Amino acid sequence: MSRQPGSPQPGSPQPGSRRPKPPKAFRELAEPVRGALRAAVLLQALATAAGLMPFAAGYLLARQVLPPGGSAPDRGALWTITGVAIGAALVHFLLAALAIAVSHRADADLQLLLRRRIAEHLSRVPLGWFTEANSGTVQRALQNDMEDMHYVVAHARLDLTAALIAPLACLAWLFSVNWALALITLVPVVGFALAQKALIGGAKAQMGAVAAAMAAVNTAVVEFVQGAAALRTFGHGAGAHRRFSAAADEYHRVFTAGNAPILRSVSLSTGFVSPVAMLLVILAGGTLLVEVGQTTPLDVLPFVLLGLGLAAPVQTAGGAAAALYSAFSAAGRVRDLLAVPVLSEPDASALNGAALNGATPPDTTPNGATPNGVLAAGTTTPEGRTGITVELRGVAFAYRQDAPVLRGVDLTLAPGTLTALVGPSGAGKSTLAALLPRFHDPTAGQVLLDGRDIRDIPADTLYRLIGFVFQDVTLLRTSIADNIRLARPDADLDTVVRAARAAAIHDRITALPRGYDSVVRVDAELSGGERQRVAIARALVTDAPILVLDEATAFADPDAEAAVQLGLSRLAAGRTVLVIAHRLATITQADQIVVLNRGLVVERGRHPDLLAADGVYRALWRVSGVDDAGLSVLPILASSEERS
Amino acid sequence: MIRGILRVVDPATRVRLRRHIALVASYAVLQGVSFVLVLPLLRDLLDGDTGGAWWWLLGYAAAAAVTLVLRYLQAMSGFRIGIATINALHHRLGDHLMTLPVGWFTAQRTGRLGRVVGQGTKDVSGILAHLLDPLLAATAVPAVVIVGVSLFDWRVGIALALTVPAMYAAHRLTSRRLDEVTEAGERTAAEANNRVIEFARAQPVLRSSGSAGLGRRLLDDALLAQDAAVRRRNQVEIPNRVAFSTVVQLGVGLVLAVVTVLLLRPGADAAELITIVVLVARFAEPVAALSGLASASRMTREQLRRVEELLATAPLPQPVQPVAPSPGPGAVAVEFDAVSFAYPDPAGSDGDQTPAPAVPPAVPPATAPAAAGDRPDRSGLDGITLRCAPGTTTAVVGLSGSGKTTLLRLVARFFDVDAGRVRIGGVDVRDLAASDLAASFSMVMQDVYLFDGTIRENIRIGRPDADDAAVTDAAVRARVDEIVERLPDGWDTRVGEGGAALSGGERQRVSLARALLKDAPLLLLDEATSALDPANEDAIGRAIAALSGRATLIVVAHRLHTIAAADTIVVLSGGHVVETGSHDELLALGGHYTRLWDSRASSQGWRLAPAGAGGELLSAPRR
Repeated sequence: MSRQPGSPQPGSPQPGSRRPKPPKAFRELAEPVRGALRAAVLLQALATAAGLMPFAAGYLLARQVLPPGGSAPDRGALWTITGVAIGAALVHFLLAALAIAVSHRADADLQLLLRRRIAEHLSRVPLGWFTEANSGTVQRALQNDMEDMHYVVAHARLDLTAALIAPLACLAWLFSVNWALALITLVPVVGFALAQKALIGGAKAQMGAVAAAMAAVNTAVVEFVQGAAALRTFGHGAGAHRRFSAAADEYHRVFTAGNAPILRSVSLSTGFVSPVAMLLVILAGGTLLVEVGQTTPLDVLPFVLLGLGLAAPVQTAGGAAAALYSAFSAAGRVRDLLAVPVLSEPDASALNGAALNGATPPDTTPNGATPNGVLAAGTTTPEGRTGITVELRGVAFAYRQDAPVLRGVDLTLAPGTLTALVGPSGAGKSTLAALLPRFHDPTAGQVLLDGRDIRDIPADTLYRLIGFVFQDVTLLRTSIADNIRLARPDADLDTVVRAARAAAIHDRITALPRGYDSVVRVDAELSGGERQRVAIARALVTDAPILVLDEATAFADPDAEAAVQLGLSRLAAGRTVLVIAHRLATITQADQIVVLNRGLVVERGRHPDLLAADGVYRALWRVSGVDDAGLSVLPILASSEERS
Repeated sequence: MIRGILRVVDPATRVRLRRHIALVASYAVLQGVSFVLVLPLLRDLLDGDTGGAWWWLLGYAAAAAVTLVLRYLQAMSGFRIGIATINALHHRLGDHLMTLPVGWFTAQRTGRLGRVVGQGTKDVSGILAHLLDPLLAATAVPAVVIVGVSLFDWRVGIALALTVPAMYAAHRLTSRRLDEVTEAGERTAAEANNRVIEFARAQPVLRSSGSAGLGRRLLDDALLAQDAAVRRRNQVEIPNRVAFSTVVQLGVGLVLAVVTVLLLRPGADAAELITIVVLVARFAEPVAALSGLASASRMTREQLRRVEELLATAPLPQPVQPVAPSPGPGAVAVEFDAVSFAYPDPAGSDGDQTPAPAVPPAVPPATAPAAAGDRPDRSGLDGITLRCAPGTTTAVVGLSGSGKTTLLRLVARFFDVDAGRVRIGGVDVRDLAASDLAASFSMVMQDVYLFDGTIRENIRIGRPDADDAAVTDAAVRARVDEIVERLPDGWDTRVGEGGAALSGGERQRVSLARALLKDAPLLLLDEATSALDPANEDAIGRAIAALSGRATLIVVAHRLHTIAAADTIVVLSGGHVVETGSHDELLALGGHYTRLWDSRASSQGWRLAPAGAGGELLSAPRR
């Protein structure tokens, strides 16, 4: 389906479109929890204020007892100060914990909200968008990006609040105690801030090179690890190993070259504001000022107690910068993901309710379940089923503008008929089939169900009308029973079992230790053929009147092939079927055979007519290696004797 | 933890590491010493003895200067040793991976492996760059401060010393509780992560099950479980953090109370006691920082464990004295001599149930465990004796689980046999040098791995020195030219990681072209044409058939008509050879092969019939 290179990815940024800056994206995303975050900031501010009191208490204590030889210390006052100091410290921790609790709760709320919002949104983007690469994007958005945003939501504001309020309050107090010593104390802080600012600029320039080297290592790791088997069987294990080693050394080199100078200046500049250095400045300045009589020894104390924390905002800002950067990038990616255009859904008010009552689940019993009236006027087949006419009108499609895959296909599937799509590989068969369940929308033309464009049919209704069994069967990691009744959760086990029997998979399921309750990939590993039969059972329970099949049976066992075929023929019975046929023998009785070549319908008709026409079909028939008796006539692997 | 790192790095790095640890430790101790020197300085200052203060200041300045130099040195050393450790680990892991059996690299393993090599090594080295300093500081600084304070006032020293055990006990207690909830959180996160991958890959199925279907609920349930775990973690983590901080604060409070008591005693040295109060703040800070480090160090320990585990995996033994392969070009004989083999670990131990690591994957998601992948055939073999004569074609058939793929894997030495021998050209594969073994065969597997390069590059891997003409020739024989013609960028079309831009059949053709280009004396094909349409299968079948006589072919196939003409057909069942012979001989036997052939014929004769001719839905099977 979506395997062609360069398929358009609506998720990638559109050149020219104006996108808000990432911090804004973050603000938008975090809007639902803004109130809680504000409350957390307020709590943190109070906590910070309380946290300063024990330090003030130390000073007050000193004033009570110093200078020595003064009046005897007041017992009550000392104990009050001590008590207040301890109490304030406890209040500080309590409030800070409360702030953290509130912000973490907000973070949990926001994560769940965003995850659900993303999942909801992605459930409405075109199926073709889900390429291998984009499945990585999805995983990243739903998990890693949320984690990246965690710091900003749960911590950043609180950290910054604390880092701002405490030093500002301290500074104010210190200036009131002694302005000269306060200025001296500020010297290393200012020096550090200036160095830090210069550094951030330098670091940004280096970040790109280091990230590129890391990416190269990762690529080499992936190649080394993933391709281990292939490489070694070609004797190139050593080569991949060399490439990996080289990438690792290159990373080492770039990382060292890029980061060593930064780190050197970082450790020098943070040295200025380390407790040891700050103490040195304060003590030297203090002793000097005491010496010259500018201040009293007692007034040096607040500086020793509190001066050390003055660099906190700058340090926090430095440390938070990287976290903020990754959080904002994460927010940007999530925002981009939420901006991926969704499949046009019909406006509910524009729908003719009577014509589309398929929005309510039809009868759940597969046997004779007729999605009657899903579309207004169905045609009745001999069995009394309501059929739907599928029509493709001038359908064109391209993954890439310069490489059209379908170039104007007209096709009608009459109710209850079997249409086979044949053609050489690369003719566009799979792409055409994928348009019916809207994996993609045609780039031109229309797909119509009973005359209604499928773009005007709500997704839930559409998928009740169109079922599909493709070669690549995906089973969900849940019980086999639930996999079979996926679309009809209320189907009883009896229905599930009947479908499994019809799909020739019942015996295999009951042979599993936990039978129908076996969880796929946990309790049971199913082969390709077995998975396909479960998918057939699923389609039987879903009971959509239109069926798109990919008939290829490239699976492990001859017996599986026979069983899959049996299941498919039961599934096909009585429905409007479009089948991609690889083995022409299976579709000789089709009502209509459509031969595709290079995106165009080149022939159509019934088997005998097409054989008589002696065109592409006839040529395909000849190489498909089936004679009239249905037996192989091909010496695919001639023995050596035969050749000689 | 440190011991763990010392174990995983090479001796040279180990020496550097020890030196680094000593450096960090001396920095921490000197930091404590500097703080202690503040005590007499402030005391003299408060006592009004400025002269004494100046001397102490000189002492403090000297200690501070050395501390700062050490601080700088240990930071730079930590950085250098950190990146050197990453490099050492990369090389060590790389060398080790080269020695592991190819069969060890299963899809589940490779996904995790990428994370260990990428993120794991980074996290492990992070210990040196970021964790060592605060961890040692949290131990050394308080210890030095306690000793220093005791020198001035033993009573306060005792009070301080008493708080330490309480703080560590509180730390241990709270971090253990935290580990528990964190682990639960990681489990649910891994589960949610798997569901998210499933959500992305199973979109068509999920859509078709409708918004009310069961499928949508799976992701939402996982998201809710993750949310519940996060909230539970918060509920445990925050009170625990408060509890720990409270213990630290109460310790400080106790010291403060002791100081107050002492201050109230007549003749107290008020200046000294006050400066001790000042020092207590420096004492508590590094200890309080411990709680923040707990989760980082726990995660690092986990990564370290993974790296150690990986390095402990047993390598594939290499021959001490390799035997030279049979000389000259031309086909070689392959012999199985009473070969028995069972896969080393039961499939379950490797399965999806294993919770993914807590660390977000560093590798691109294309390498994440496939949401819908077949677990590789893991059926063993029991007493296989078999000879494939040079230049002949041997077809291996049998139901799934009979051991067909295993047979080929043993020839390629993805694993070593448990008993018996596999010989290529008369030489036991275990006696061949790895390069000679690799040169002796080409292999095309069911799931083909292509590199993220162009189609041409991917084919050339078969024989890197091949000229363009040879590449094109192999490509034409494998019908890759027909793909190339269709693609917008032709030969230079990038196939995407793992060949994601091509269909299964197209990948198989590229892989076949690779094998044809290599032109090895032995060709192993495992369902190599399973994803091809009849026209291509026919053409490629002819190309492969043209090799017979020149190369020995061992072919695993399920579509029997493709192998009906093989020289020898070997029927496997439950790991045993049950029948051997040509197509006609085996049909005449009327045994396993005949049954397989008949069931094939019945599927071949099958028809998809239009509605009118179709049976009743869910009716009994009609034959």
